[in-house]
Amino acid sequence: MLLNSQPIQGHYGSSKLKSDTIQPMNDESTTNTRTGQWEDALSYVAVNQDKAAYAELFSYFAPRLKAFGMKMFGNEQQALEMVQDTMLNVWRKARLFDPTRGCASTWIFTIARNVRFDMLRKKQSRKDDISADDLWYDGNYPEQEDSGSHNWDTLLMAEKVAPHFARLPEAQRQVMTKVYLEEKSHQEVSDELAIPLGTVKSRIRLALDRLREALDDTRS
Amino acid sequence: MTHAVKHHPGIPLLEQYVEGTLEADVALAVAAHIDLCPHCQQLCQDLAVEQGTQLQLMEPMDTNTSEPDWQAMMDSIIAESPDTAELPKQHKGPVTVHWKDKTFQVPRALARLVEQQTKWTQLGSIANNKLPAGDKRHVSLLYIDKDTAIPQHTHLGIEITLVLSGAIVDEQGQYGVGDILINTPDDTHTPRTLPDQDCLCLSVLSAPLKFNKGFTRLLNPLQHFFY
Repeated sequence: MLLNSQPIQGHYGSSKLKSDTIQPMNDESTTNTRTGQWEDALSYVAVNQDKAAYAELFSYFAPRLKAFGMKMFGNEQQALEMVQDTMLNVWRKARLFDPTRGCASTWIFTIARNVRFDMLRKKQSRKDDISADDLWYDGNYPEQEDSGSHNWDTLLMAEKVAPHFARLPEAQRQVMTKVYLEEKSHQEVSDELAIPLGTVKSRIRLALDRLREALDDTRS
Repeated sequence: MTHAVKHHPGIPLLEQYVEGTLEADVALAVAAHIDLCPHCQQLCQDLAVEQGTQLQLMEPMDTNTSEPDWQAMMDSIIAESPDTAELPKQHKGPVTVHWKDKTFQVPRALARLVEQQTKWTQLGSIANNKLPAGDKRHVSLLYIDKDTAIPQHTHLGIEITLVLSGAIVDEQGQYGVGDILINTPDDTHTPRTLPDQDCLCLSVLSAPLKFNKGFTRLLNPLQHFFY
């Protein structure tokens, strides 16, 4: 197992934040991650350039980014170039991560996507053309109220919705069933499925939009 | 839910946009739509969360044969100093584009490209400003004066039109600011502007238009104007 000889626990002890909230890296951590773990680790990197926290992020995400890169490029050399560039950005730009805007995994994904996009464009020697910065806004759009979800509660049971409900992607249907049919809280669903709370909320909104789209076809 | 923008890209298109697998010139039109559409902003944020979760839950590559030297990679990264540059660079004032005495504001996604080039060519009540973007497709700003019809045409390829100012009306309905129209080779339409309002659009075309009716077929040699 990679990097597990690092004295991770010790480094956190010297940090300003509470050390007992951090779990050491171990073999189980690949399947069992604590809510907020990566967001905390990014904060350590941002505030203290904490190398142990970074090592934890690196050892978790680098192999997964490699798998993601292999899927996208089908080529190990390019996949690793993407991992290196992405993880370098995670190290250097950690203080640009804003935990109020989303999960660490979302942030890391968007960096990897942008790195990959620009790598492909560069390969096609189109440096002056469209860049990742043009396509994906790295900032806050004005907040909007989270409306629209609630008046769907009643409609959801209607016969009209049922067939569309069955056609939702599995991940969304699972969350929707738990929230709307079993009346569980978002937090309960997050715990049960071991997915971040933000993902539960996202899946609900996406599913509602798919249902809305199915009933009221205004999309091109 | 109320939102002014009525015509959106389909969710599969948004998914590819968020993944980064959509072709760049189509993605540019989607990005410009998103800048104008709070509803799709939220959807794309949700889709990015999904992608992030998939990344987090991904099985790491089982590469017993050629495990990369992660330790060396990490050491080389932490040898670099953190980025001390000031926070995001993208907050500039609104970018505008000018045609004759008119001024239009363009979405953030188009700002850099518009700043690189504003060369208009005019044909009657229509003017075209080709942007330095696009691989297989041609990306341009299209200015259409008020009360003007673009003759009925067929699309030899895909045509994406995003309304940036004013409105367009065709056989299917009316499209206002932020609305996106996607026409495939099977679609024939006769878009026109309103009697009292001119229009600026972003147009992404994968092949020239083909004009279908009577004298307008004489326009076919001028296809390159739109394309």
